[in-house]
Amino acid sequence: MPPAEPGGLHVIEFRDVGKRFADGTVGLESLSLTAREGEITALVGPSGCGKTTSLRTVNRMVEPTSGSVHLDGRDVADADPAQLRLGIGYVIQQAGLFPHRRVIDNVATVPVLQGLSRREARSRAAAVLERVGLDGALAQRWPAQLSGGQQQRVGVARALAGDAPVLLMDEPFSAVDPVVRVELQDELLRLQAELGKTILFVTHDIDEAIRLGDRVAVLRVGGRLAQFAPPAELLAHPADGFVTEFVGRDRGYRRLGFVEAGALPLVDLPTRRDGGADPPGEWTVLLDGAERPVAWLAPDGGRHDLGSVYTTDAGDGVQEGAGTLRGALDAALSSPARCGVAVDAEGRYRGGVAADDVLALLEREPAR
Amino acid sequence: MRAFGYEIDELVVAHVLLAVVPVLLGLVVALPLGWWAHRSPVARRVLVPLSGALYTIPSLALIVVIPVVLGTPILSPLNVGLTLTIYTVALLVRSVAEALDAVPDTVTTAAVAVGYRPAGLLLGVQLPLAVPVLTAGVRVASVSSFSLVTVGALVGIDSLGTLMTSGFEQAYPLMVAAGVVGSVALAFLFDALWLGLGRGLTPWSRAGV
Repeated sequence: MPPAEPGGLHVIEFRDVGKRFADGTVGLESLSLTAREGEITALVGPSGCGKTTSLRTVNRMVEPTSGSVHLDGRDVADADPAQLRLGIGYVIQQAGLFPHRRVIDNVATVPVLQGLSRREARSRAAAVLERVGLDGALAQRWPAQLSGGQQQRVGVARALAGDAPVLLMDEPFSAVDPVVRVELQDELLRLQAELGKTILFVTHDIDEAIRLGDRVAVLRVGGRLAQFAPPAELLAHPADGFVTEFVGRDRGYRRLGFVEAGALPLVDLPTRRDGGADPPGEWTVLLDGAERPVAWLAPDGGRHDLGSVYTTDAGDGVQEGAGTLRGALDAALSSPARCGVAVDAEGRYRGGVAADDVLALLEREPAR
Repeated sequence: MRAFGYEIDELVVAHVLLAVVPVLLGLVVALPLGWWAHRSPVARRVLVPLSGALYTIPSLALIVVIPVVLGTPILSPLNVGLTLTIYTVALLVRSVAEALDAVPDTVTTAAVAVGYRPAGLLLGVQLPLAVPVLTAGVRVASVSSFSLVTVGALVGIDSLGTLMTSGFEQAYPLMVAAGVVGSVALAFLFDALWLGLGRGLTPWSRAGV
């Protein structure tokens, strides 16, 4: 196990943490792990692997029966639990909002507990709500009046409102539908790019762990660490059969999502700015007035969906697959013309992506 | 207002005081007991059956025994008040425990995780969320209390029950009916009051989904 990162202030360090419950079941055998400052550390594993238990040892909602947990280099066992928790943001499954408080007061909870006046706490809460992308009109609603995705955003806002440098997130996006989940994940990555919190993120979903984690800890039942590595490493070199199986199918394809496609050559495609008149005779990209691709025109003039579009670089917003070989290959494979359309961060046409070029680039990748 | 040889408004005031004060006192006593039963399975196994058993003691017996045990004057309204308080506690211990049980785990866990201490958790989160279930319990206790007050008339404690006992003695059905209708009306009135109070405290529970 790597030693604590030197100089990191908001490091979470598990030192041989064990938890045996009163009924004799072993929640954690002996977990040693360091979550680095400013990173998302994902804890992933099957149910019963002790991921939630380990998360809760950090804010003392679970007391370890052996070992210790250190935050900022200090043993959390020496801190007053309530005081400790005021300095650690917590996002729970299904949001866990207070149903009897309006959205704004849910978010203002921690600042109020920290001793701010209600007025100051509310103004801070309003700022945080804006930051997580919630319409100000929702502030006066009751939690029951929000959608699942909105509730979860409020849950994140509540955790951020205390201005804690450390966040614990316990399967925060597990109860929302897949589309909203991806939105929330993107939102978290965007926030994290701005805020640089030290985040411990528990999930049972390996895809979520790989998508969000700067480093991913795969736990077995009983809280034994099977592997702790950056996602690309996890996909390229699973430590053993358990991790291989847990990581699942399509490892090779998913790993492409971590390979930058910087040197990928773009090919010139025939383009047009109006769809009418004569059939083009070959697959042609139809552009709008702002140079954005709209559709493919088949040789006979029929319009076809673009397929997934490859964004050459991420720009300001986080977009899945942007700038990676996975995004490029997916664009090529999903296009009706057998050649993907590449755009820049603003969505303007840049060129075409050929699957052959992606594979050629992949062959030049150092062997792993 | 005078009717049937009685000051009716005095009887109404006495009836309301004798019924409502024990409900409030009983609630105050039941809250910590119910909280204890909610927290500790052992306490629950003792408190819930015990309070159920209390409710099976006949009211008249209790009203008569209390002065013997506590040395209160035999004609004191305290005997009735105390009896009704005991019944309220008997009904509400279970209600309080169940009302606290009904608070979702994710909410209490979230409250602990964001830094609530136990007292703040109880007053700021658990009790407000327990109000809907608790209101249901209080309404049952209140209706029961309004009807049991009339039993006090048998031992000379004035209430609208007095109209019933005297009406019987005088074979005056209208007077009995006035007592019955009056106490039922009061019970309904206060039931509506508790209901309104409970709703007033929980605007969130009717937030449209």
